[in-house]
Amino acid sequence: MNPNLLLAIPMLPLAAAIIAGLGGRLIGRTASALLAIAGVAGACLLSVQVLSALLHGAASYNATVYTWLLSDGVNMQVGFLIDRLSALMMVVVTFVSLCVHVYTIGYMHDDDGFQRFFAYIALFTFAMLMLVMSNNFLQLFFGWEAVGVVSYLLIGFWYTRPSAIFANLKAFLVNRVGDFGFLLGIAGVLYYTGSLDYQVAFDQAPQIATHTLHIAGTAAGWPAITVICICLFIGAMGKSAQVPLHVWLPDSMEGPTPISALIHAATMVTAGIFMVARMSPLFEQSDTALSFVLVIGATTALFMGFLGIVNNDIKRVVAYSTLSQLGYMTVALGASAYSVAIFHLMTHAFFKALLFLAAGAVIIAMHHEQDMRKMGGLRHRMPVTYWTSLIGALALIGTPFFSGFYSKDALIEAVHASHRWGSGYAYFCVTAGVFVTAFYTFRMIFMTFHGESRLDHHAEEHFHDVGWNMKGPLVALAIPSLLIGYFTVGPELFGGYFGSSIRVLDANDVVAEVGRDFHGAASFAEHSVLHLPLWLALLGVLSAWHFVLRRPQQATAIQERFGWLYRLLVNKYYFDWFNENVLARASRGLGLALWKGGDQAVIDGVIVDGSAGAVGWIAGRVRLIQSGFLYSYAFWMIVGLVLILGWLLFAGAGPAAQS
Amino acid sequence: MITLGHMLTLSAVLFALSVAGIFINRRNVLLLLMCIELLLLSANFNFVAFSRYLGLVDGEVFVFFILTVAAAESAIGLAILVVLFRERRSINVEDLNTLRG
Amino acid sequence: MLVAVLFYTFATILVVAGVGVIISRNPVHAALSLVLCFLTSAVLWLLIEAEFLALVLVLVYVGAVMVLFLFVVMMLDINVEELKRGFTRYAWLGWLVTAIVVAEIVGVIVQRRLGLDVTRGAVPLPADYSNATELGTALFTRYAYAVELAAVLLLVAIIAAISLTLRRRRGLKLQDISAQVAVRASDRVRLVKMKAEPRS
Repeated sequence: MNPNLLLAIPMLPLAAAIIAGLGGRLIGRTASALLAIAGVAGACLLSVQVLSALLHGAASYNATVYTWLLSDGVNMQVGFLIDRLSALMMVVVTFVSLCVHVYTIGYMHDDDGFQRFFAYIALFTFAMLMLVMSNNFLQLFFGWEAVGVVSYLLIGFWYTRPSAIFANLKAFLVNRVGDFGFLLGIAGVLYYTGSLDYQVAFDQAPQIATHTLHIAGTAAGWPAITVICICLFIGAMGKSAQVPLHVWLPDSMEGPTPISALIHAATMVTAGIFMVARMSPLFEQSDTALSFVLVIGATTALFMGFLGIVNNDIKRVVAYSTLSQLGYMTVALGASAYSVAIFHLMTHAFFKALLFLAAGAVIIAMHHEQDMRKMGGLRHRMPVTYWTSLIGALALIGTPFFSGFYSKDALIEAVHASHRWGSGYAYFCVTAGVFVTAFYTFRMIFMTFHGESRLDHHAEEHFHDVGWNMKGPLVALAIPSLLIGYFTVGPELFGGYFGSSIRVLDANDVVAEVGRDFHGAASFAEHSVLHLPLWLALLGVLSAWHFVLRRPQQATAIQERFGWLYRLLVNKYYFDWFNENVLARASRGLGLALWKGGDQAVIDGVIVDGSAGAVGWIAGRVRLIQSGFLYSYAFWMIVGLVLILGWLLFAGAGPAAQS
Repeated sequence: MITLGHMLTLSAVLFALSVAGIFINRRNVLLLLMCIELLLLSANFNFVAFSRYLGLVDGEVFVFFILTVAAAESAIGLAILVVLFRERRSINVEDLNTLRG
Repeated sequence: MLVAVLFYTFATILVVAGVGVIISRNPVHAALSLVLCFLTSAVLWLLIEAEFLALVLVLVYVGAVMVLFLFVVMMLDINVEELKRGFTRYAWLGWLVTAIVVAEIVGVIVQRRLGLDVTRGAVPLPADYSNATELGTALFTRYAYAVELAAVLLLVAIIAAISLTLRRRRGLKLQDISAQVAVRASDRVRLVKMKAEPRS
């Protein structure tokens, strides 16, 4: 593979971002948008070309492009590792990004920050590509933080809204917690292998597994590999919004909808999933860490889904759905089914981006109304949006032959096949999650597109269907949402697509176990009739229909009957309450104490002012010696002389006496 | 016979006297200057004595330079004294504490 | 024997004169005592055969420096009474320090001996030995650079002393040579043509 071509993939969006960001006012709105789109389209084409080259048997590429610095034997460099895993991610990232770029032209049409927005999303594409293409931990971390920064900027894109500022700060802070763990994990890898390079670390993974780490001098040692993997996974928990670090993702919906689609559904939040899959040689060495991953993922998958049921904000429902689906992917990782996780990541990227963009189209059509209670009956007024979101919803709930079906069903089967500690709980969660997913997804579809119109006067007055620059991306995403699973499930999961880029120990290889019963995509779909998830999904859709369209009053009755449960869900399990009132208050208290006690009293008071005061005090005393009188100076000189002579006389090392 | 010990002792006495003079005449700048001359003389005594008893002429060369410096010093010192007296009508050291810290 | 007698005699005079310098109430007396100190020192230096320096001491110190001192003492109208206040208050400290310093120096000389035999006399010099020649040779060969520096130092001292004491008095009439040289006839003399007035 040509390194220059690979370099061009991230550099094109970067160049576009720089030009549109710095010269946006100069070159104007249209030029900025076209430039950004051209940059991302170029990257997309090149990525597709790279992927097809790999599919046609090209060897994977792993080389350093640029050495940044060499410190104490540690090489810090920019390098690319292009294998089938990263190539797949590149294609997904650039394709969704391209769709979002095009869609943005319509969505942000009236916004003052048009050029700025394009600069940000192009920059995001660059950062995400750097993350995905990296061949070392440092560059991974760079991309990791860079996408975090762009996410921060974009959540707070409408920076005059206090809620947006609160949300982006929250996202930033929560991600710091995760990144701290991530950094510790990277440090652990560096400590044990002496290198930041993936290849070195992966090759030495079995050796790391033999080490034991004594944290803070405790007698009971921890297996080093478990500590490293859990630390790395904590980073993934922050970025991929796993419980309990998920709290930022629903709030991130303050950002413009294209961003929610691109960053907070399709790409950035899946960085954690990608990272764990990339680190599979490390994670495979620690069953404990994988069990941890499994349990966290399962909890997220089920319990975040519940929250989607009670929300009325269309974007937040999709956001909770994203959380839940990320939990599914994490479960797959925990069950050692990395390829399934990536497969689900890919299908999810398409249909979730589709759902988000469709939600955005609805929001724009409704003139910035996000409350589903004020929608309804939009089916006939925006048919393209309706049909595409229906495809997305069907894919999401796992309707046979849709892309989501293949990934989700394979995922559930893989968890079922797993014997890891916690897999029983995980299996329960993901299976029950199917019902929940179907319920909230179709609750959203029914509330928005079916039933009677509940539009208020304002929305009715300004209602207008969206243009083709927004519908186009919807269609472009609907096609893969519908088809990609059918065509790729066979080769990608069971055909050894990933080759050596994902390493699974034979004992853990649940995907192979699932693959034994796999006889083509069509029969896989037919067999689902015999499995529980399909019926659960159907049940979910039916209950949604029942409670939303047929008997809405029953929903209210249940809501009143189980008031405590409803309050628990509406308050998001009190995570935010806990964070704000316990963690944040405690840290503010700690900060205040350190400020008043540590900084002002000790550092300022004793060390800074104190030392100056001490010097001043001593100087004040010493000053008295400086009387300005000659004789006193002379006196002290003589005193010194007397002392020196006395020293020479009694103790000193003068010339020895001659005998 | 004059031994080295004789000369050094004499020089020590002269030195001690000049030191005492600095204390006793601590008000009079003029006398302070004279005491310094005496002090330099005692140093010169040591140089001459060592020079002679070691048979090296270099010590006497140093005396020569000390004399030069002492002459320059007393010339400038007295000049300052004169200027000072014009300004303050006094050569009392206790009046000269402008540089006091 | 004679040398010892001379040494003790002049040493005694020297010490007494030194005491005189420091305890004289009158600066003129102190200056004269200091002159005596220098003279006896010169004699002692002659005794240990450092003739050139002895003469220089007399010429430079007695002849120049001390005369300067005397000039200044007499030029300044010093209030001697005021300066004598507090004389006795610190006198005991001065004597104490003197005693300690002498004791210590002698102690060091006796105990440590400075790596030398302090009880030894100087080696007598041959009859044709010229101290001035030796010193001059050293000064103008090995120490030539230092001599030049000393010369510059003296020059600086002269300039400094003059510029310090130079006083520009107001109302003083001085010649401005350059103005005198640059003067032109037209500045001084003006020829005026006028008609003769008729005799009345």
